[in-house]
Amino acid sequence: MLTSITEILNLLKKYGKVEKIHKDTYVVEISPGKVRELCEILHWKLNGHFSVTVGSDERPVNGYFGVYHVFLLDKQKLSVIVHVKVNPVTLKIPSITPIIPGANWHEREAHDFFGIFFEEHPNLERLILPYDWPEGIHPLRKDVNVRELRYKLLKKETGLVVEKKAEEEYIVPIGPYHPALHEPEYFELYVEGEKIVDARYKGFHVHRGIEKVAEERLTINQVPFIAERICGICGYTHNVAYCQAVENAARIDVPLRAKYIRSILLEIERVHSHLLWFGVLFHLLGFDTGFMMTWLVREKIMDLAEILTGNRKNYGMNLVGGVRRDINEEKIKLSLETLDYVEYKLRKILDKMLKLKEITSRTKEIGLLSREEARKLSVVGPVARASGISTDVRRYHPYAAYSELEFKVPVYDAGDVYSRALVRYDEIFESISMLKQLLKNIPKGDLTAENVKVPEYRKGLGLTEAPRGENVHLVITGRENKVYRWRPRAPSYNNVPSTLVMLKGEKLADAPAIIASIDPCFSCTDHVVVIDVRTNVKQVLRLKEIARGK
Amino acid sequence: MKTPRIDIFKEALKTGVVTKKYPFEPVEAPEGFRGKPSIDFEKCIGCEACVNICPPNALSVEIDTKRGIKRVMLFLGRCIFCGRCQDVCPTEAIKLSREFELSSLNSKDLYQIVELKMAKCKICGRYYATVRQILFTAKNVPKDQRPLLLLCDECRSKVSAKHISYARW
Repeated sequence: MLTSITEILNLLKKYGKVEKIHKDTYVVEISPGKVRELCEILHWKLNGHFSVTVGSDERPVNGYFGVYHVFLLDKQKLSVIVHVKVNPVTLKIPSITPIIPGANWHEREAHDFFGIFFEEHPNLERLILPYDWPEGIHPLRKDVNVRELRYKLLKKETGLVVEKKAEEEYIVPIGPYHPALHEPEYFELYVEGEKIVDARYKGFHVHRGIEKVAEERLTINQVPFIAERICGICGYTHNVAYCQAVENAARIDVPLRAKYIRSILLEIERVHSHLLWFGVLFHLLGFDTGFMMTWLVREKIMDLAEILTGNRKNYGMNLVGGVRRDINEEKIKLSLETLDYVEYKLRKILDKMLKLKEITSRTKEIGLLSREEARKLSVVGPVARASGISTDVRRYHPYAAYSELEFKVPVYDAGDVYSRALVRYDEIFESISMLKQLLKNIPKGDLTAENVKVPEYRKGLGLTEAPRGENVHLVITGRENKVYRWRPRAPSYNNVPSTLVMLKGEKLADAPAIIASIDPCFSCTDHVVVIDVRTNVKQVLRLKEIARGK
Repeated sequence: MKTPRIDIFKEALKTGVVTKKYPFEPVEAPEGFRGKPSIDFEKCIGCEACVNICPPNALSVEIDTKRGIKRVMLFLGRCIFCGRCQDVCPTEAIKLSREFELSSLNSKDLYQIVELKMAKCKICGRYYATVRQILFTAKNVPKDQRPLLLLCDECRSKVSAKHISYARW
């Protein structure tokens, strides 16, 4: 087996031109014929994992469309970007979905937005664009102008939404607002009595086209603010990932103090996000005392964030090259006090809540995801760690100040809802310990890099470990202080397909807890239809109502 | 074995009621909170720095070329409270306050509009900048150069180009 970096580079050189774009990140440009072979090696043989596929319209620059498959090799601490140039006339390249099923959504998205055909893709249907979107308009192409498009679409009479037939089965739709977290989504659950036999998902009802807004209208330092609004819970991690991508592309050295401040806020965000998740889980299991008590502790963290940044959410702390506000001694002292209180409180209540029989009997051995399935779908974050895959961007691709910290990466093998809860439980305390290290050792220095200049057409990859998993931003810088291509990939994008595997064979009453167990964040990435295969009676329900046993 | 249920119950009793009776009881935001931005009409010079930097286009500018008035408009309905305008303002005219109650029955309440008088170019007679902006710039310009501030961009470059060519001779 290949292990060292030079061996891997030599291997990559056999396939095509290798270019180092920044630290530990290599782009290998290969011909379409070799894509599958190389991707199979990277994902399965080298034990890396597929992260994201990015489509890009580079006709104004080099005359081709580009497809970038990003792979992260955790053991070697490397990121490899496989770049394929797509002929703008035929627009065909081989699909990698038959080898890595996790690439399914990614390739369908590139098909929607750029019109690239992935040959031998099992299901190259629309993913993000609505069914009534006119054929042949691919919105992220550079020749599509938003204003013209709006005019065209308003004039054209669009057809009605084409509904798929649910063949003589019984459907219970849940949504269109997410049952657990109140965000739009649409699950179709096929049931036989109580048992779920199959599941389908339709999401992206709230896709807002922020990539187009960023590429057309915003300047490089305005994008961090829209990036932060991708998610209402873990927005700061997107903000950091974007800034890191641009900083990497422009080779800007961020001062250490700014890195520490970024890490502090990222960890605060993780603690509040995990506590929010515990509250949602308890609520769905009908344990509202637990919900209230975890959220009470979470409120302390929210207040802390408000004091440090000026807002509970949407910290708005980053710019390319550094941070905007400083954390003074007084705030550090207050933070340490709050953290001590939060740790004491959580040890007292969360420990006991996880031992309750009402909780364990409804989460243990439920919603199973085996290691093999997890690898196939390339899941990330706590979902992967609960299925025995040790992956953590903070450990294997260190960013911000994480290379200077001591922390453990909790891994559990059971792959059920309970182990996902345990992973998050451990992570909360790891985060608190990290926060203490960060606050005590924060160095003095500048807040922003001195010379922030962004050259044109450079690629940069920004990785962060969001509370839900690894978060990837790929940026290609453009002219006139703009981004040419920006593709943010939220962790739920890779995790949501795994719920369909988890739901099969489970009881209908467990569906809310299973869907919530991946900590879905559908606006980053959505209504459930339950279909009985025997009686063919349709019923519209919300998951919350199932949770209540209606 | 003791069941954890009793401990959780005790803890809940000990905590008691924590909900505040907002809006009947005032809630104050901490210091440094990024709330409603407000423009100090006395200080604003109409330089448009905030208009250029604003990510959601909450700030915009309008020039009335007939009457010679520049309108700087802040629409809070678009504001994302990032505070970039505060960062770039040269005169500290725009500042984020700790106020956060913005709901109103009238959308006009969400506008803040500054109207500033503009100056005419001495040569071509076109309105080109606000009087306040010229006065503000004059502080940083050497005395002998100041007359150039009374000209619009185009005339200024023409005049300075002339000066340079004379200097060569």
